[in-house]
Amino acid sequence: MKFPSKRMLLATCGLAGMLFLLHSGIDAQNSARPRPARVPSTVGSQGPMPVHAKYTAAQIDSGGVLFVQNCAFCHGKDAGGGESGPDLTRSKLVSSDKDGEAIGVVIRNGRPDKGMPRFNLADAEIVNLVAFIHSQQDKAMSQTGTRKGVDESDLHTGNAEAGKLYFEGPGGCTKCHSATSLAGVATRYTGLRLEEQMLYPRDVKSKVTVTTRDGHSRTGTLEYQDEFTIGLKDASGVYFSWPVDAIRFHVEEPVEAHVTAMKKYTDDDIHNVLAYIQTLK
Amino acid sequence: MRWVKCARVLTCLTGAALCAASLAAQGVTNEMLKHPPRDSWPGFHGDYSGQRHSALTEINPRNVANMTLAWTFQTQQNGIVKSTPILVNGVMYFTTPDNIWAIDARSGHTLWHYTAPPNKAFHIGQRGVSIYKDKIYYMSSDAHLLAFEAKSGKVLWDVVVADSNKGQWATMSPLIVGNHVLVGASGDFDNLQGFLRSIDPETGATQWTWFATPPVGTPKTSSGGNIWMTGTYDPDLNLVYFGTGNPTPVLNGKVRPGDNLYTCSIVAINPDTGKLAWAFQPSPHDTHDWDAVEIPVIADASFGGVQRKLLMQASRNGYFFVLDRTTGKNLLTTNFGFVNWTLGVDKDGRPIPNPSKEPAPDGRLIAPDEGGMTNYRSPSFDPKTGLFIVSASPSFSLYFSKPADGAYGWSGADYSLWSKSVLEAIDYKTGKVRWSHELGRRAGSGVLTTDSGLTFTGDSSGNFLALDTATGKTLWHANAGAPIASSPITYELDGHQILLTSAGSVLYAWKLPQVSSVHSRNAVSSKK
Repeated sequence: MKFPSKRMLLATCGLAGMLFLLHSGIDAQNSARPRPARVPSTVGSQGPMPVHAKYTAAQIDSGGVLFVQNCAFCHGKDAGGGESGPDLTRSKLVSSDKDGEAIGVVIRNGRPDKGMPRFNLADAEIVNLVAFIHSQQDKAMSQTGTRKGVDESDLHTGNAEAGKLYFEGPGGCTKCHSATSLAGVATRYTGLRLEEQMLYPRDVKSKVTVTTRDGHSRTGTLEYQDEFTIGLKDASGVYFSWPVDAIRFHVEEPVEAHVTAMKKYTDDDIHNVLAYIQTLK
Repeated sequence: MRWVKCARVLTCLTGAALCAASLAAQGVTNEMLKHPPRDSWPGFHGDYSGQRHSALTEINPRNVANMTLAWTFQTQQNGIVKSTPILVNGVMYFTTPDNIWAIDARSGHTLWHYTAPPNKAFHIGQRGVSIYKDKIYYMSSDAHLLAFEAKSGKVLWDVVVADSNKGQWATMSPLIVGNHVLVGASGDFDNLQGFLRSIDPETGATQWTWFATPPVGTPKTSSGGNIWMTGTYDPDLNLVYFGTGNPTPVLNGKVRPGDNLYTCSIVAINPDTGKLAWAFQPSPHDTHDWDAVEIPVIADASFGGVQRKLLMQASRNGYFFVLDRTTGKNLLTTNFGFVNWTLGVDKDGRPIPNPSKEPAPDGRLIAPDEGGMTNYRSPSFDPKTGLFIVSASPSFSLYFSKPADGAYGWSGADYSLWSKSVLEAIDYKTGKVRWSHELGRRAGSGVLTTDSGLTFTGDSSGNFLALDTATGKTLWHANAGAPIASSPITYELDGHQILLTSAGSVLYAWKLPQVSSVHSRNAVSSKK
């Protein structure tokens, strides 16, 4: 009996469906309000078409070959997401890019913090890649009906009341957060980006205090840490580093509480808390 | 003195067979592949066991901190070296996608460099070439097998292994067994049939093909099961062991009910007939892209008080398995990091997937993430301590799949939320982690152990590391300044042990400091 009965699955789907309808209703009410020009981070058939430069078919084709060789494993052959890389057709960076000014920078420099290497390609090759990525986004966004990939509307299956109870109770979220401290978070982030940020916030700097042998201490944001070296930036932005065996240090990483939380969450807990967070506009 | 030595070598050369082990420039034999000489690393794992454990002991825990650079080799390419170099007769062969180099292992001097013609296929990595007799075998990115003359780099033949236009690509270092070149391909962005193919090393003709899954389009079955990592071989049982990849469609399991054999499986195959002897499935009905291709390491060791022929795998899905490799019977199943996708382990030792953790329209939180608890980076087994040492990545991911994602290829989306890396030393008898060593965010280096009690690997900041195998304590490090995505090797050259690592697009050869005879001779002659 590796699988639950069909009935159980149907019941679950039914419940999810009901919740979905409930929240679509809320969405419909909200839609009476003026919407931003383009939904941040999740572009989709609901948003206006991006303004991209015009490219020739030859450029797009040539970019397609380069894309398969260099990009498709992570971002998918159609740029709609693959192993580990995001769906570029839903990328805010791509939709706001006119002629490669933003995409080119990412290709040239990579995103080492997110595991993307830099690519040392010729300018013409980058232009062709941009042409292909733009064409894929235009194609995806001009689709009618349900799009593949994660839509904002997919992420409204939770119960905000239950989420609030979890947030204030067993979730332990109020040790660090409150509705006040998170006010506006659902405006700054939406859709999948909001959920990712809720589960494990990216780009949160840890605080570190280093005490040298002569008893002096320095506190700042943790900039670098491996087994051998620790580096911080002080309040004025100046970088200092030490060999770890020459000092004592203490790192404060409150964000790591999110890792502990992920070990405890059920998927229902996540969807409920997300529903609650979605109200903190 | 110098000329006397050379004269002796010449005599040796004319004496032919006597010097076969070190001077068989034109002939890597099956015997060499079974029992690699100390001055060689003739296959992907070194020997056939996949243990990546070396008998060399010159570099040891007391002197490893003195290691110094012998030479580096700059590929001057974009990509990261993911290949394991092979070394035969003082010549090292290694790859990046579309490139093969043959270099002098004493100096890094290039003997030949092959660049492939432009081809439309994924160029995500190339894990190395193989050698047999006087030929080098290479899988191109677009899934051709090419044979080269080892001494010159001349292409001798080129056969299509899989049709890259349909979506297959290749990264694999072929496994040479007897008179067979064993190869497979990758390709889970499309619904394709995974396979292992045996190719004649002389002619390139196909000898047999074993398919992991039924023909594409067979109702209610999965496709996939691609074989893309080099297997291991037991000459006594005459069985090769390979892991197979995930089923397709990847994240949509609804259209392929059941276990989806033989995807995510460890398979034992007779290399002469291509017939399956047994199979064990680490991930029945996988919906998280967790290939079971990680190295099936073989060892003869005691288990439950009985000497047994074992096979061990730390699998991408977060579980460590010990099997009897004669029968495929499971002896131990244990997780080596936090997992949340199972309902337990069944009577045959297979994890039971939790149906409510299949990707869903509103997302499921899954541990580990899609990159897995481990991946292609090689583990190592140290027979002396009984430690199976693996670079593990505890991690979390969100998995989505909805009807609009369809039933072809990826069929969903997944997003890694958090991960870190830790080197784990697993006691193979119990599955318990005896020590662990933090490696930072996401490390990509494989592992090598040696008889002197050293463990070599790398961390996520680009540090090469030498650890004490008994305790996991760091004894040496050097920062390469680039990501490490290969597994270290070691060999003896001119009587001294060399450690070879790579990071970014550069190879680094390390040795103990010695008063080199070349230096002293040069010093003497310069005084004249």
